[in-house]
Amino acid sequence: MSEAAQHLVVRGVSKRYGPTTVLDHIDLTIRRGELVTLLGPSGCGKTTLLRAIAGLAQPDTGKVELAGRDITNVPPHKRNVGVVFQSYALFPHLTVAGNVAFGLKVRGAPKGEIDAAVERALALVKLGHLAGRRISALSGGQQQRVALARAIAVEPDVLLFDEALSALDRKLREEMQVELRRLLQDVKATAIFVTHDQDEALTMSDRAAVMNKGRIEQLAEPRELYLRPASLFALNFVGLSTRISGTVLAANDGKVDVETKLGRMSALGNFQAGSPVIVAARPEQLRLGEQGEANSAAGRVRSVVFQGSRTLVEVDAGAGESLLAELSGRDGTIPRVHDEIRLSWPVAETFAFPMDAQA
Amino acid sequence: MTEAALPAPVTAPAADREQLVAIGFVLPSFVIIAGVFALPLVLLLGVSIVDANGLTFTHYKRLLGMPYYLGVIWNSLRLGLLTTLIAFLISYPAAFALARARGPLRSVLLATLFLPLAASVIVKAFAWTILLRSDGIVNETLIALGIIEDPIRMIFTETALIVGAVNIFLPFMILPIYAIVAQLDPRYAEAAATLGASPVGTFFRVILPLTLPGIIAGVALVFSLSVSAYVVPTLLIGEKYPTLATTIAKAYLLAREPGFGAAAGVVLLGIAIAVVTLSARLSREPK
Repeated sequence: MSEAAQHLVVRGVSKRYGPTTVLDHIDLTIRRGELVTLLGPSGCGKTTLLRAIAGLAQPDTGKVELAGRDITNVPPHKRNVGVVFQSYALFPHLTVAGNVAFGLKVRGAPKGEIDAAVERALALVKLGHLAGRRISALSGGQQQRVALARAIAVEPDVLLFDEALSALDRKLREEMQVELRRLLQDVKATAIFVTHDQDEALTMSDRAAVMNKGRIEQLAEPRELYLRPASLFALNFVGLSTRISGTVLAANDGKVDVETKLGRMSALGNFQAGSPVIVAARPEQLRLGEQGEANSAAGRVRSVVFQGSRTLVEVDAGAGESLLAELSGRDGTIPRVHDEIRLSWPVAETFAFPMDAQA
Repeated sequence: MTEAALPAPVTAPAADREQLVAIGFVLPSFVIIAGVFALPLVLLLGVSIVDANGLTFTHYKRLLGMPYYLGVIWNSLRLGLLTTLIAFLISYPAAFALARARGPLRSVLLATLFLPLAASVIVKAFAWTILLRSDGIVNETLIALGIIEDPIRMIFTETALIVGAVNIFLPFMILPIYAIVAQLDPRYAEAAATLGASPVGTFFRVILPLTLPGIIAGVALVFSLSVSAYVVPTLLIGEKYPTLATTIAKAYLLAREPGFGAAAGVVLLGIAIAVVTLSARLSREPK
């Protein structure tokens, strides 16, 4: 790989706190200018990984390289990283401009240069008019922007966001996601977002890493993450799905036939006959009625949730199994609660995952 | 009533009522403070500038004109400043250690701070005389260990005075600083570090300014306590180190000069108020 392709390299990083393994041999390579999300539930190690990159947590093993430099043992103030904290951690004793100027001041930059950089950074986040304000006089959204301007002003090699949008209310957060992505692309920043919010991950990133128990389960583009989940955990964490348990009857060439309580089904996957598996499909793959060469199951509609352009239909298929279908209004008639319906979905969009994997 | 009279308001505006309630809550403490504190202060000021012949400033001229009394004022200031400075140097790191401590250790450390507050100042000052006198514990121990042959003179020295004062007033410096440090979000220091500030830079640019309110509260408390201390200098250094507080006591109890005692009291109060006001101004952030 070229140097640009390896802007940030995390190699075999592990971290334990007492008996708990927080990071378990993490490998991660990020290209220059790439926006990557670390996605996972609380306790999955995503924040610790971010802190290890920032130098705020020392890994037990492994290496971190940034912009061609081994920074594993470099203290945080010499790493040239920018961090936007969940609580923003804006200095309350400084003004907005004072906060943004902080990084350049401690680097001993000349005053003229600092003033220009502060003005530029504040203009970028559209807060130039608030330069003289106190931090306590700002709204949450404005503080978020100041924190971003402060981190950007020093032109760091990588920007790290620790749940940086989670304190904002939903509407503002969604606006910021789009705006932040555009802004970061404009300044060609390399950035890592830590979040537990899958929408944020799908919206903001070029690639997203689904983390679980200190490991990266899957690192892929958002589209691939959704369409081709690598594990049951990734399937569950990103998006909705129908999941049916069963046992592999026969396997050939990346395809398996599975015996389930709802009948025989085919799915993509490599398993030996007799393996317990979960067969899964995304809800928008499920269609009303039969299709040729497709999996199908029938049941009674348990709930119908109208969501604007789509309608989520949950079906009780009996034997403790349920089906989740996302039907668009154009699909014709949307069933009603208690209707008996049959749903089918293509084999090519059906995946099998090992049963023992933790959901 | 005339025809032009407007209808009376149906209800008093809510804000007015709230204000009345607030005044009702404040009134009792206001009356107490005015009665037992402000009024005697006014009387004190009166006694210091009025005698049988009317208005007079002789007491102040004596206090501020005679080298002996300027020395007394300097002694009080010196006691206050040295005690405050040394107490601060000890307390600042101690407050951080206290804030970092967890579990039982923290409880023990806090108890060692609070328990001495329950003991009288006189008891603590006497404890120091027992420790520091020529046949006291410190000298006996040093002789027994063979480190010294003859007892060192410790009691009735300025060192003994400052050591005792620092020890006795230390909690009043540690606790306000600790209260601030314990609230300090560790993210501030982390943010400063990721922005490129060295540990030293982080301390002076972030930690120190953010803990300033605690420092100022501690300084104001310890200075006003030590500048006016009476028991501590009386027991630990005695006659040769007269302070404003001991001078006031002598003026009232021995010399029967209430006017002069009152004037010394006013000067002492002036010094304390000046320092506290200055601290309060410093705590209002610059710029």
